[in-house]
Amino acid sequence: MSSLAATVQKIFDEPGCPTNGSKSEAERKQGCTKQLQPGSAAGGCAFDGAKVALQPFTDVAHLVHGPIACEGNSWDSRSAASSGSDLWRTAFTTDLSETDIVFGGEKRLCKAIKEIMDKCDPPAIFVYQTCIPAMIGDDINAVCKAASQRFERPVIPINSPGFVGSKNLGNKLAGEALLDYVIGTQEPDYTTPYDINLIGEYNVSGELWQVKPLLDELGIRILSCISGDGKYREVASSHRARAAMLVCSKSMINVARKMEQRYGIPFFEGAFYGIRDTSEALRQLARLLVERGAPTDLLARTDAVIVREEARAWAAIEPYRQRLKGKKALLITGGVKSWSVVASLQEAGLELVGTSVKKSTSEDKQRIKELMGQDANMIEEMTPREMYNIFKDAKADIMLSGGKSQFVALKAAMPWLDINQERCHAYMGYVGMVKLVEEIDKSLSSPIWVQLRRPAPWEALAKAMQQMQSAAAASACEPALTETARRAREICVCNTVDLGTIEDAICAHGLRSVAAVREHTNAVGGCCQRRIEEILASKPSAMRQAAE
Amino acid sequence: MAQSAEHVLDHLELFRGPEYQQMLAKKKIFENSRDPVEVERIKEWTKTAEYREKNFAREALTVNPAKACQPLGAVFASVGFEGTLPFVHGSQGCVAYYRSHLSRHFKEPSSCVSSSMTEDAAVFGGLNNMIDGLANCYSMYKPKMIAVSTTCMAEVIGDDLNAFIKTSKEKGSVPAEFDVPFAHTPAFVGSHVTGYDNALKGILEHFWDGKAGTAPKLERKPNGAINIIGGFDGYTVGNLREIKRILALMGIQHTILADNSEVFDTPTDGEFRMYDGGTTLEDAANAVHAKATISMQQWCTEKTLPFVAEHGQDVVSFNYPVGLSATDDFIMALSRISGKEIPEQLARERGRLVDAIADSSAHVHGKKFAIYGDPDLCYGLAAFLLELGAEPTHVLSTNGNKAWQEKMQLLLASSPFGKGCQAYPGRDLWHMRSLLFTEPVDFLVGNTYGKYLERDTGTPLIRIGFPIFDRHHHHRSPLWGYQGGLNVLVKILDKIFDEIDRKTNVLGKTDYSFDIIR
Repeated sequence: MSSLAATVQKIFDEPGCPTNGSKSEAERKQGCTKQLQPGSAAGGCAFDGAKVALQPFTDVAHLVHGPIACEGNSWDSRSAASSGSDLWRTAFTTDLSETDIVFGGEKRLCKAIKEIMDKCDPPAIFVYQTCIPAMIGDDINAVCKAASQRFERPVIPINSPGFVGSKNLGNKLAGEALLDYVIGTQEPDYTTPYDINLIGEYNVSGELWQVKPLLDELGIRILSCISGDGKYREVASSHRARAAMLVCSKSMINVARKMEQRYGIPFFEGAFYGIRDTSEALRQLARLLVERGAPTDLLARTDAVIVREEARAWAAIEPYRQRLKGKKALLITGGVKSWSVVASLQEAGLELVGTSVKKSTSEDKQRIKELMGQDANMIEEMTPREMYNIFKDAKADIMLSGGKSQFVALKAAMPWLDINQERCHAYMGYVGMVKLVEEIDKSLSSPIWVQLRRPAPWEALAKAMQQMQSAAAASACEPALTETARRAREICVCNTVDLGTIEDAICAHGLRSVAAVREHTNAVGGCCQRRIEEILASKPSAMRQAAE
Repeated sequence: MAQSAEHVLDHLELFRGPEYQQMLAKKKIFENSRDPVEVERIKEWTKTAEYREKNFAREALTVNPAKACQPLGAVFASVGFEGTLPFVHGSQGCVAYYRSHLSRHFKEPSSCVSSSMTEDAAVFGGLNNMIDGLANCYSMYKPKMIAVSTTCMAEVIGDDLNAFIKTSKEKGSVPAEFDVPFAHTPAFVGSHVTGYDNALKGILEHFWDGKAGTAPKLERKPNGAINIIGGFDGYTVGNLREIKRILALMGIQHTILADNSEVFDTPTDGEFRMYDGGTTLEDAANAVHAKATISMQQWCTEKTLPFVAEHGQDVVSFNYPVGLSATDDFIMALSRISGKEIPEQLARERGRLVDAIADSSAHVHGKKFAIYGDPDLCYGLAAFLLELGAEPTHVLSTNGNKAWQEKMQLLLASSPFGKGCQAYPGRDLWHMRSLLFTEPVDFLVGNTYGKYLERDTGTPLIRIGFPIFDRHHHHRSPLWGYQGGLNVLVKILDKIFDEIDRKTNVLGKTDYSFDIIR
């Protein structure tokens, strides 16, 4: 386990991380993940982090070495879209039992690897370490090494058992495994001056495909996407890319920096969320490629595409501006998205009342300040109760967040939109932003919110009754009020006709029969026949005569 | 032969075998069939706006009607009374239809007899059939009451039920004091909802207004009870049980009139219950003293409710209340009339429905629906869909009338989601087909017959209505009450998600959206 500890220490000491850079020597030793507080609600573990980071590699068999808990709960929980193999969705686990834990699980792991090779013949197997085999000392590195030799196929150990730390650490450990065992182990069939890597992009709901056509149009080739819709061969030969874009800096900064260090691939941090940021990302990509020797006309071509696409997107958003104007939104998400969608939402007329920065870097925070002003409400940590209170105080009209906050928002009867990994809609690129604005508008215009916030009608009635009683004296000197209340009584329930309407009709036309009332009002005169007769009887004939 | 005694194939598989396929293909040669290109051309033409116009100009022909005949409704209402045998005066073939219709829907035996009129009865009148019929069924099936209704045959020749029953009693078919309420229910007027109305009114009239002149009229001594009339309803088992549960929770003294929730859901324990449950005859008579009568379906009680009102009761009617607001109105009416408080239990159930709507309405919001069925059901479902932000684009009721249309349009106009939506009274499912082709919607709501439209137009069918022949047991779950609203919501959502799965389930092609979490 010492090598794992060393790897973790190295990750904590990431020179590419500005937070880390600003720390003192002593602080740096403590590492960068916040110590978990026993007894408080927490996010996922390191295993989960590694699994979600690598699972979008579609043609790889992902084998989880551990008891059923780990794979049983995480199987296929993210809709990272695949354009090819469906193997990544198949749940492989060694499903360790009591005897395995007593006698060790290595043999079982060996057999499991063999069985996958026999059945599926994948280009590679990723073996995920979990807490239990790590604790009993199963050496998955050794097993994987032996299996690789025996089957002449890469079997990669992903050494990120849950107990080493947070989900984010797991993302990075997954990246380390790629750097140690995968990247640079194969050569691409051919290379072009336009080859790029996307790092930390997971193709959730297929959103990468909303940007890919633009890259295709510009002739930019995604040599490897780590890891959305990725293939083993692509990531193995990704070291030949000319430039890289780091999409989620939080999860994979170590990969981007080390690839720059080892293979000289320059990278920049960018996002395809939001219109301006998409444009900026495309420009940066073109610039980096040209710097590395791509023909310079790429820059002009990129600008032309950006101008065209921006105009299209703004035109599509325009109709929503009036409708969304002045609506307040609260953004609870992490990392890049904490700022990358802000500009576009503001452009669509929304007012951002806060954004969470729990998973954001200081650069992210700087960007938030640029966009939302110095006094931007940056929410470091938000308990469900606080979240609930923000809504209750009507400080926000809609919340954009991940699935976990969904149900809190809904209990407060607040419009809510999913912008995290379990969402059904893709929000990336120009079209994605239009879709997001569309979805916000749709959520805000749903008729259910009014209904939801309204208390049960009998509660409202009880309150009104109370007021009536206390205002009984007042109403004596307010005869108009009493009169209005009297006339509001519903007579025809079927067609909702009140007493006032019927009285007016009787007076105006001097009506004498139910049939006549039926003619002059909407009243059905069926089940309300008797009530109308009563009214006819009680109306002073003088009034009718006056009318005549 | 594909068929063998060792392994018997049923029709799902058998006729796909090569020898049958060959046989069918050879048979085609002799069928003098049309040029398939021409057939295809006409088929496509029937999907156009031009065809729709011709279709809607149809005057005499009804194609695929979404309604049934009066006596079906009469039988449905009659079995809701204790030990009551529905007796349909007319031809026995009609009666066989009602029995099979009800059996196929409820998956229960359905007991009902006819006076088996034949040609001579049609010429000379059905009096003898009535005399023999009442005598036979009284002695054979030992009912506590026989509720008489009619088929068209008896109506056309003008058989006088009142006189016939009187004569039968004089002739000793049944004892003089035996209850034989009656109602004229010609199929050429109205539909099964009218028949329900007539039969129920006939029975109440019998008990309240002096048993056809053989007893003194009852004098109303008002008490605090409430009568509930469910109306013709394919979900009567679940719905009436739910209503009873709600009334019990609120502590309201009540009588369910025509309570057929037991007879259409008898247990399998070795005993055949020809009659089960039902409103006791004593309760039916005492119902006159109630403070108020609530009809759950206005168009099912157009005659009964005014009749009840004439006896001095307050009457309130609903239009198949489904969903939050409609159930609120119903519960509030119960509370207002009875003076009872609404218990915490119901408030919690309401909160749960609100919660479920919040969790899932995004999937329903903005979707377009076509609905067809009985007038009240259409109204109730359309109101719920509007509440969810869905658009009930086409609402069609073959047995809906002009007043229904007006009320529907008022409802549609009351919500921004009703914009552009249209109510179609008196139209049939062939009209619906044109609507679905020319103004497509996302989902169709209707009974089993909707499956042809589903196949034809590709519009997924959500089965809510009567009859439901090809799905089992849905009538046991309520659509009323907050719990019922939840059931309807789930039915709709299930279909929406099934549809997403169906559209993304091509292996190796659409795997990217075939997701576990929806």
